[in-house]
Amino acid sequence: MPRLFLLAPLLALLPAAVLAQDATDPTAASAQGDVAVTIYNNNLALVQDVRQLAIPAGVSRIEFPDVSAQIRPETLSFAADGASIVEQNFDFDLLSPAKLMEKAIGRTVTIVRTNPATGAEQREQAKVLSVQGGVVLQIGQRIEILRDDGLPVRVIFDKVPANLRARPTLSVTVDSARAGTRAASLRYLTPGLGWAADYVALFDAKAGRIDVQGWVTLTNNSGTSYDNARTLLVAGSVGQSQGGYRPQRSTAIRRAGTETAPREQLGDFYLYPIAARTRIADRQTKQVSFLDVQAVPARAGYAYRNGWLASSEEPQSVRSVVHFSTARSGGLGDALPAGTVRFYMKDAGGAPQFIGENQVDHTPMGSDLALATGDAFDVKVKPVVEQRERVSNSKWRSHMRYDLSNAKDQPVTVELTQSGLDFAFDDTRIVSESLPSQRIDSNSARWQVTVPANGTTSLTAIFETRY
Amino acid sequence: MRRWLILLLLAMTGAPASAQTLIVSPGAQSRSVTVYRDPQRGEGSINARFPTGFALVTEQRRITLPPGDATIRFEGVADGMIAVSAAVTGLPGGVIQKNRDARLLSPASLTLGALGKPVRLRRTDPATGKVVEQDAIIRSTPDQALVIESADGVEALRCSGLPETLIHDSVPSDLSVTPTLSIDTQSDRATRADVTLTYLTTGFDWAADYVARIAPDGQTLDLFAWLTVANGNSVAFPDARLLAIAGRLNRTSDYDALGRAPDAPPLYLSCWPEPSYEGEDDEMAYGLAPPPPPPPPPPPPMMAAQEIMVTGRRVATQEELGDLKLYRVPMTVDLNPNGQKQVALLHQRAIAFTTLYTARLSAQGEASEGGPLTRTLRFTNRRESGAGVPLPSGGLSLFAMRGDESLLLAQARMRDQAIGDKVEIAAGQNPHLRYERSFDDKTQRYGLRLINSGTEPLFAEIIMQDDEANRLVGSRPRLVRRDGAWLWTVTVPAQGTAHLDYRLRTPR
Repeated sequence: MPRLFLLAPLLALLPAAVLAQDATDPTAASAQGDVAVTIYNNNLALVQDVRQLAIPAGVSRIEFPDVSAQIRPETLSFAADGASIVEQNFDFDLLSPAKLMEKAIGRTVTIVRTNPATGAEQREQAKVLSVQGGVVLQIGQRIEILRDDGLPVRVIFDKVPANLRARPTLSVTVDSARAGTRAASLRYLTPGLGWAADYVALFDAKAGRIDVQGWVTLTNNSGTSYDNARTLLVAGSVGQSQGGYRPQRSTAIRRAGTETAPREQLGDFYLYPIAARTRIADRQTKQVSFLDVQAVPARAGYAYRNGWLASSEEPQSVRSVVHFSTARSGGLGDALPAGTVRFYMKDAGGAPQFIGENQVDHTPMGSDLALATGDAFDVKVKPVVEQRERVSNSKWRSHMRYDLSNAKDQPVTVELTQSGLDFAFDDTRIVSESLPSQRIDSNSARWQVTVPANGTTSLTAIFETRY
Repeated sequence: MRRWLILLLLAMTGAPASAQTLIVSPGAQSRSVTVYRDPQRGEGSINARFPTGFALVTEQRRITLPPGDATIRFEGVADGMIAVSAAVTGLPGGVIQKNRDARLLSPASLTLGALGKPVRLRRTDPATGKVVEQDAIIRSTPDQALVIESADGVEALRCSGLPETLIHDSVPSDLSVTPTLSIDTQSDRATRADVTLTYLTTGFDWAADYVARIAPDGQTLDLFAWLTVANGNSVAFPDARLLAIAGRLNRTSDYDALGRAPDAPPLYLSCWPEPSYEGEDDEMAYGLAPPPPPPPPPPPPMMAAQEIMVTGRRVATQEELGDLKLYRVPMTVDLNPNGQKQVALLHQRAIAFTTLYTARLSAQGEASEGGPLTRTLRFTNRRESGAGVPLPSGGLSLFAMRGDESLLLAQARMRDQAIGDKVEIAAGQNPHLRYERSFDDKTQRYGLRLINSGTEPLFAEIIMQDDEANRLVGSRPRLVRRDGAWLWTVTVPAQGTAHLDYRLRTPR
């Protein structure tokens, strides 16, 4: 019996729902049109959505469902031929049972009591008087509190109040010179979309080469899917500078390059378009290849950085570092967008094994990179403060010794850096050393120490500090 | 009526047309698992219930490809898969794109997916058991309870006190049980491809667990190590080649965040304010936000599924992998979900070692201070002394023979030791060999006495650390300088003592 009643209202509702269905996914029900998404690195995207809208002549209100659930409504811009904007609205009065009851104050609702013993139903009309801490109803001449006795009572409302919505809703009021369906373009910024690069680097230490594949990884946590979207990734972060302190990060770039990559640029940013239109689903991580370079020269190196007057009882493993270039000749021949580089190396059976990962910043083409992959099992340094002596009231000498050991069957060169030579109000110089050093900056001196195969070597240096 | 509705819907939208063919790869033909220790864990043993390291899984899968575009979905992968690290090789048309979809099927996502669409509303009469079903449309998101519209009018679900629920026709196609990895590829003809899928995954860890037995003569050590592997995933890796990597490698991305499935919010239903007289339902009072949804369910209990397996002694082979050490288990093994497995890592039967007793003391000390010395086993990791293999870090249990039984002497730790390193294992304290400090006011000399109450002479090495403001001078006996400190080596006779004294000088 109720089914007959149902037919009419449902049919009235159906066309809107059905027309909004997307052809590729019957469950998507998206109202999006021709979508283009431009994604920046700092969790920000520009969405452009061209929809075919029937706009009547005169002033009318247009709602936009299926925009990003995290839309920044203040960034919306709307343009349609022959229509000017009167106002833009963002309404987030959401439908819930409590709101429904609140909006029913002073109105009449239907209540259905069910007898728990017999199942018999009794219908009554009730007027909602208040919802403060409980719902107070007027039924005929009686005043009752809804479900005060704990017995089952259904409350039936006539309709959903006009201003309550399932989701936050964006709307514009436009004044159109003519009636008719035309392209209307929406443009807005939304957080929740971001991207980074992931690199797979297969390193062959013996042959001194590296194969690098680059993938752009875009993530969509914006709460909305974008269908059949043209996608453009911008290697950069725009604006959103909050000022304040920004610590300088350590970087893998040893020498920044001066070559221009053969990629499209926008302002100072490189662009990485995704070739085909694609669906960016909500909660999706999508990866598309953008770089595949074989047999780039690379070499393994070792590095150790010792803090000022740092001494250790046990030898410490040095870091394994992979050096390579992004230059056109003898390098990757491309700029690298920031991301994670995962290094692999083939084992004795020829299967690639993971040997560590590191981060790269946005790296210009032509740069020299040195990426630490982990600690070397077989190459160790034991730094020792042998002695500190006072030369005068303001002058001290520190005798340092560094014992290096190498359990590999070939000689290695360790880049040993002593840092902390310049803090606050002092001035440190090297009085004598067993191997010439290079002062790479005021704070640190660096030696290239060669350790023989299956052997050890020691480096000594005397530092003089003036306070 | 409901069927009719669906037919209408289908007729108006067209059948789900898609050029992509979906191919599901249910599992692997063969697999190998390379386990990495947690770089932050230190030398201790692993937590088998919540392993914090990771693994590289390499799987061979056979896939039948149709001509044209295809999407391959990989199932039966580890729960902790780091999808961004996944690589697929062996496809004739390569990989066009990789996707990890993580919209999970949950009551809330199912309901949200049905927003604005027809569902069935079912009411059961509590007195008679009579079931009434009717069509309805969901009008609100499930964040703050559900408003539904039916032929009767607008109502809030489960606010009436009657048993009522929603019934859905189907699951939206973009919801899945676990995060899924899929790739898009294309092929110009129908073909069968043997592809290799490699990926990193969390939920694994391994450690070396050493068992050291001191021979009856007290001169040599039998050093055996287990390779202890834990799999905290709910996926089994049967008949897998097992490898382990020793050494510490860099990890810069947040593996837990990358591998974790996003929260599937529970369906939380709240109604309009209801009268409360107990004063305990304050949060239900009108105008306040609904109470926060209950926390996600705890991880499934692992205790019941836990099993400890000990496999026979076939020792792993070691090879070099760049600057790391790779151990290859000589047979295939079954890595069971929520299980720990031990296989032999290495075995050195007779390592010549020396026992000495050590202390590291400051030259300036409290006059009355004293304490036992630390027993230290020392050997050089060379073939000449019976060792000479890389020793990966891990826990060590030291046993000594007492007649026919071996008794635990100490629990210790091993650092990553390369060939040629001097290995020192701190193995407990010896209460029979103590040090005592003294200070003579008249001569201004500091004293240090070693007292051996045992029946054997014991060899001691004491390191005295001075600093530039208080230099150790005039010591009797003379000390030697080592690594920026003073070293006193002495043999303390059985039931006897040894004595050191010195002064401290402050340079002007």
